Amino acid sequence: MLENYLPVLIFMGVGLLVGIGMTAAGLILSPHRPDREKNSPYECGFEAFEDSRMKFDVRYYLVAILFIIFDLEIAFLFPWAVVLDSIGTFGLVAMAIFLGLLVVGFIYEWKKGALEWE
Amino acid sequence: MNFVTPDFMPAMPEIFLLTIVCAILIIDLFLKDESRGATYMLSLIALAATAILSFTGYSQETVTTFNDSFILDPMASILKVAICVVVMGVFIYAKDYLIDRNIYKGEYFILGLFGVMGMMVMVSAGNFLTVYLGLELLSLSMYAMIAMQRDSAIASEAAMKYFILGAIASGMLLYGMSMVYGVTGSLDLANLNKAVSTADRIVMSFGLVFIILGIAFKLGAVPFHMWMPDVYQGSPTSVTLYISSAPKIAAFAMMYRLLVDGLTDMHADWQMILIILSVLSMALGNIIAIAQTNLKRMFAYSTIAHVGFIVMGVLTGTQAGYGASMFYAIVYAIMSVGGFGMIALLSRAGFEADNIDDFKGLNQKSPWFAFIMMAILFSMAGVPPFLGFWAKISVLQEAVNSGLVWLAIVGVVTSVIGAFYYLRVVKVIYFDKPMDNTPIKASMDIRMALSINGVAILALGLYPTALIALCINTFS
Amino acid sequence: METFVFYIFSAFMVLSALMVISVNNPVKAAFFLVLSFFASAAIWLLLEAEFLAIILVIVYVGAVMVLFLFVVMMLDINMVQIKKGFVNNLPLAVAVAIAMFATIFFVVGGESFSQSVFTIPDRHGADYSNVAELGKVLYSDYVYSFEIAAVILLVGIIAAISLTLRRRPNTRHQKIEDQIAVKSKDRLQVVKVDAQPRKYEPAKEEQK
Repeated sequence: MLENYLPVLIFMGVGLLVGIGMTAAGLILSPHRPDREKNSPYECGFEAFEDSRMKFDVRYYLVAILFIIFDLEIAFLFPWAVVLDSIGTFGLVAMAIFLGLLVVGFIYEWKKGALEWE
Repeated sequence: MNFVTPDFMPAMPEIFLLTIVCAILIIDLFLKDESRGATYMLSLIALAATAILSFTGYSQETVTTFNDSFILDPMASILKVAICVVVMGVFIYAKDYLIDRNIYKGEYFILGLFGVMGMMVMVSAGNFLTVYLGLELLSLSMYAMIAMQRDSAIASEAAMKYFILGAIASGMLLYGMSMVYGVTGSLDLANLNKAVSTADRIVMSFGLVFIILGIAFKLGAVPFHMWMPDVYQGSPTSVTLYISSAPKIAAFAMMYRLLVDGLTDMHADWQMILIILSVLSMALGNIIAIAQTNLKRMFAYSTIAHVGFIVMGVLTGTQAGYGASMFYAIVYAIMSVGGFGMIALLSRAGFEADNIDDFKGLNQKSPWFAFIMMAILFSMAGVPPFLGFWAKISVLQEAVNSGLVWLAIVGVVTSVIGAFYYLRVVKVIYFDKPMDNTPIKASMDIRMALSINGVAILALGLYPTALIALCINTFS
Repeated sequence: METFVFYIFSAFMVLSALMVISVNNPVKAAFFLVLSFFASAAIWLLLEAEFLAIILVIVYVGAVMVLFLFVVMMLDINMVQIKKGFVNNLPLAVAVAIAMFATIFFVVGGESFSQSVFTIPDRHGADYSNVAELGKVLYSDYVYSFEIAAVILLVGIIAAISLTLRRRPNTRHQKIEDQIAVKSKDRLQVVKVDAQPRKYEPAKEEQK
């Protein structure tokens, strides 16, 4: 089985080489003349007004968590799709119940208004 | 493929509960805040029906299904009924409290029911996977329930502490399970026993230590008890009611499934560890409880002491010992739900009756509830003829029978020390002057349920034979 | 060859895991966590746990860490303050870590899992699919666990919503459906004003 993944390994190696190679080339070959003004951060040519970090709206996390939950649900679908013909009706019903439970969750989040961005 | 469709009948209570919880969840969405009572009533009906279904499924034989990941034995049936009944009490006691605090939401009941589902999965778990999944289902529901009172800083703190420590404990449990799985190659608890004799002893013991650590955390045995006082005190009383009662029954079941169903052959190894846990829990719980002025904290330490007794029954390694321990776990849950129910009863909007001083002169306000509180406290202290006495005596008896006389003596001595702080509360109730004259305001159902709870502690204490026999027969 | 790849990825994983807890910049820490996830996915792949490796990349690297990175980039956490305790507690932490490692190493050690105890599992051919093997048992033998997993996800949804959703009734926002449904009489009201003889003050006007 592992031989199928050899191209992936080679790709990772090549990717690593290209990435490191380009950064290194840029570092070595490019002219490097920094001064204080060049290094200072700026906002459209002005001095920065405030810190870019800020309090984050909790709704962002809500959307993120809901996304991850449904992402995980998708993860369960892959093996099911691969073996659907050998597990038969029982597997189909098992997945129907699984998805049904998450549909209940989906109805809940829709009706609660968790998907709305006021 | 040689796969036979599993038999669904043994898992009927779980399937029923899951279906009805989903229905309640959808119904609750369409209810207005004024008609939230419907969710409450439906939840109680769901629990009652699940209890009845579990009860009708009772049989002396052990049935397994779902490729051995589900076990239905007498212990599972009895504990499921006990869990459902206790959680019904929790919901009834919590209702007024939730309304007063403006946190009367459908989610409390729904998460509570999902927690019950998790406990039921734990109780009849047949392999490591289901033990762990049931535990996570229960824990996740409890974390969310604690944090639900969002404006309360101490509730958030309690939820955070519980969540982080609980996650670490789950990780430890999983690590231990993976070690055992690594050397035995089996997730099934029943197969584990066959594999123990051939497996690498050292790695097995290593995994065992981590498994016990996870169990001890969930039970709250010393030295893994640190979370309990803070979480009990920080959570709203409605949630403390929940986390202090039924999950201990489930934790006992988890201990039984993992150590006895799975690793009986390693009894010599785990007995020593459990003895240490038991002695430390009884001693530390009872001694530190004396210094508490907050009743919720005091009950938390008293829980730690009770857990010491539950562990003591299991560590004897005899069938009768498991029965005694199971009896103790059920009795503890009944007492605990009553004790926190009294706190919920006396609390009202903007006032938490969680200090011992808040119980001053309860007798002048309401002699009946003073009597019930006295029954609960005496029972916890182990004063005859209340129910707690029989629980203590049966565990101690089994400890003596299996030759652990010194352990029984430690149990008796620490109980006597512990009796002091229970009696102090009784003294406050009967002999002190009330701090204020606010009458007790509570709806009919909470009064009824508390009365039944208190009377049950006394009545079952006077006629304990049936319940004890039921628990002892479970294992023989 | 396989052993070589294993050691490369193990080294990556251990080093990046160390960096996660020791670098000062939280964004860099998150990136190192991604790297350690990648390396552990590769190790799983070496064990022929193909599905787990793919899921680790899709779910953790693809979803969890990317979302996490957004937050870490934007959040106002003062790392200097958080790191204060780090140096002070470092000796204790190192001591505990070494003690833990020593216990595990000397008690369990390498021998317990060595080849003399366990035979090396057979290598599968190129046509072997770990995903299919997993699927065959997951939806039949382990269907009970599978459905409980769905219940846990459902509880996750409920918990997340009940803990974070806060209604804000007084935020202003566009209601498109109301805008479309509007009729001319909702916007314009024609008021009959009787003609009156001209006085000093101008006639009262009613406006809506």
